[in-house]
Amino acid sequence: MTLLILLATPLAAALASLAARKKLVMLEITAALAALVEFGCVMGIIATTFSSGSDRYGSFLAVDSLSAVILITVALVGLGASFYSIGYLREEVRKQIIGFKRVRQYYVLLHLFLMAMFFAILTSSPIGMWIAIEATTLSTAFLISFYNKPSSMEAAWKYLIINSIGLLLGFFGTLLFLASTANAGVDQFISWGALTGSAATMNPMLAKIAFIFVLIGYGTKVGLAPMHTWLPDAHSKAPSPISALLSGSLLNVAMLAVLKFKIVADTAGASAFSQDLMIYFGVGSLVIAAFIILGQKNYKRLFAYSSIEHMGIVAIGVGFGGLGTFAALLHMVYHSLVKSALFFSAGNIFLKYSSTKIAKVRGILTTLPVTGVILLVGFLAITGMPPFGIFITEIYILSAGVAGHLPIVLAVLLLLVLVFAGFLRHIVAMAFDRQSEPLPAGETSFFTIAPAILLLAVFIAAGFYLPAPLERFVTVASSLING
Amino acid sequence: MGFDITVFTAAVLLHFTNKNISAIRLYMVQSAAIGLLLLASTLDRFTPLLLIAAIATITVKVLVAPYFFYGLTKRHDLKFSVSTYLNPPVTLAAIAGLLVLTQIDFFTPLVSLGTSEEKLLRLAFATILVSLLLSINRRGALSQVLGILSLENGIVSFALFAGLEQSPGFQLGITFNILIWVIIATVFASMIFRKFGSLDVTSMKKLRD
Repeated sequence: MTLLILLATPLAAALASLAARKKLVMLEITAALAALVEFGCVMGIIATTFSSGSDRYGSFLAVDSLSAVILITVALVGLGASFYSIGYLREEVRKQIIGFKRVRQYYVLLHLFLMAMFFAILTSSPIGMWIAIEATTLSTAFLISFYNKPSSMEAAWKYLIINSIGLLLGFFGTLLFLASTANAGVDQFISWGALTGSAATMNPMLAKIAFIFVLIGYGTKVGLAPMHTWLPDAHSKAPSPISALLSGSLLNVAMLAVLKFKIVADTAGASAFSQDLMIYFGVGSLVIAAFIILGQKNYKRLFAYSSIEHMGIVAIGVGFGGLGTFAALLHMVYHSLVKSALFFSAGNIFLKYSSTKIAKVRGILTTLPVTGVILLVGFLAITGMPPFGIFITEIYILSAGVAGHLPIVLAVLLLLVLVFAGFLRHIVAMAFDRQSEPLPAGETSFFTIAPAILLLAVFIAAGFYLPAPLERFVTVASSLING
Repeated sequence: MGFDITVFTAAVLLHFTNKNISAIRLYMVQSAAIGLLLLASTLDRFTPLLLIAAIATITVKVLVAPYFFYGLTKRHDLKFSVSTYLNPPVTLAAIAGLLVLTQIDFFTPLVSLGTSEEKLLRLAFATILVSLLLSINRRGALSQVLGILSLENGIVSFALFAGLEQSPGFQLGITFNILIWVIIATVFASMIFRKFGSLDVTSMKKLRD
């Protein structure tokens, strides 16, 4: 029942927001309440999954350990983004950048976006997941073009076209996998369980071809190179809370689809092939991201390329297998939390400096003291500095590859140094250099600070103490992926 | 054989048409062929969902989507579609290359699916690749949309020949996609014209690293 409430809440919130008339506060209360209810539902689902191994509603909705890991990230980032949106949009309304209608449109789409992500995670059907991920494309396209500027239109169009092509290829791959169940006589709405169950009879060569299409298809949404070109544009042009959700949640949801299909492909006997493919795409993403980060001029694009880098690391971890898979799943959780906090800090910087260009942002520690600290801590965390969790997961991933993929491990290490150098150069300049025309110091509001602090605090705490449910989910899920 | 050749030929011709109206008509013909294939499959083995998918395909792809696209071209007086990145001889060579690709051994498991003849599945797979090229090669927003819709038609034809059309998941996926995507893509194409004064996506040059 909780699963149903989790899906019904954002839908009800979207309808309530649509019905709101001229009262901004109604939209804000709806968003806050919906976020709290959704978070409560997810905690309930986590408790049930922890105690009984899974949570389900009928035959259409189900949560296992792997889904639970992603559900946690979406719930946390969703909670943070909903509260952050209140402060962010209030400020934009105050500056007369947007009016009530645009704010209402924003909240309606935000709720629909969250609902689509929750459905993608909860549905027990591969086709249901495809529909939900396609629905995220459609709802977020309008959020990316939210400011209605030529650049945001460009970003939204690229996003729509590239992701639609990608998802159609993903759909084709899904159909090829479904062919195995059709041959096995399954003629209903096929669940992940039924698909995996019948995969053993699938032609391994067909499984390889199907996995190529699935990886290219959903990999587009994950932001894996070379299908990543939409990501920096979309993440940099969307309002900051949406950038946080795109980076911190949506990429994980799409990666969940890849991982679920990897399990199916591996069962069909394409294990080595799928692992190699994950490594190739992962390394490619890391190479592209590292070099562009080094010369980046826009801080939101910097964070976006960092997301490509981290999705690449996750793909490499899964490709290495063993401990690498465990670390990759944990890496997804950590990345979600830190990247969302960084996008929230990017939003605060934009509200203050009215620019996303690195060259125009100086002296953050003086102008935005709290945001400045969040930015610095976030920078150290996202580049894998000790003692943060990402340092640990990266070490685990690299150590998992040492025995079988030493040249790749060394290349990854070198690329991570490049990423750190790029970040160091940009963040130090933004935080410590003196602003030529000083701006009045002070944060925008409680709502623009608290969500970032919350997510960063959860991230830091989870780096030192892994909660028992999360540890269990990651352990069970990684053994499922490793076969 | 017949409808499948129509679907493939329309995908190839979409590469070479200069007028938007011709491109829309080609897409209508391609979609009508797909709709009729779905209807034929419904007559062969009736399921309510497949009938809905067939009716939705014909309604949205043959009537609603072209109506939107006609409206778009008429409203903005867009007689000619924007050119391609590759010139026609190179495009033709690329299409030929894709056709050769469908013949290689690697794809044999793909074309051995279901009960249909292998050549039907190879042709449907070729339609998918040719449509993919179309959506990448075209500079016009409308042509890109038509490319994606043609790609979807290619996937539907492949699923039909592979005997997957009876899967409720397939029908639900296709019905959802054609109903929602066409409307949103048309709205966006219209917004792009208003913002850039053209449907040429190469005029979008604001976002660079």
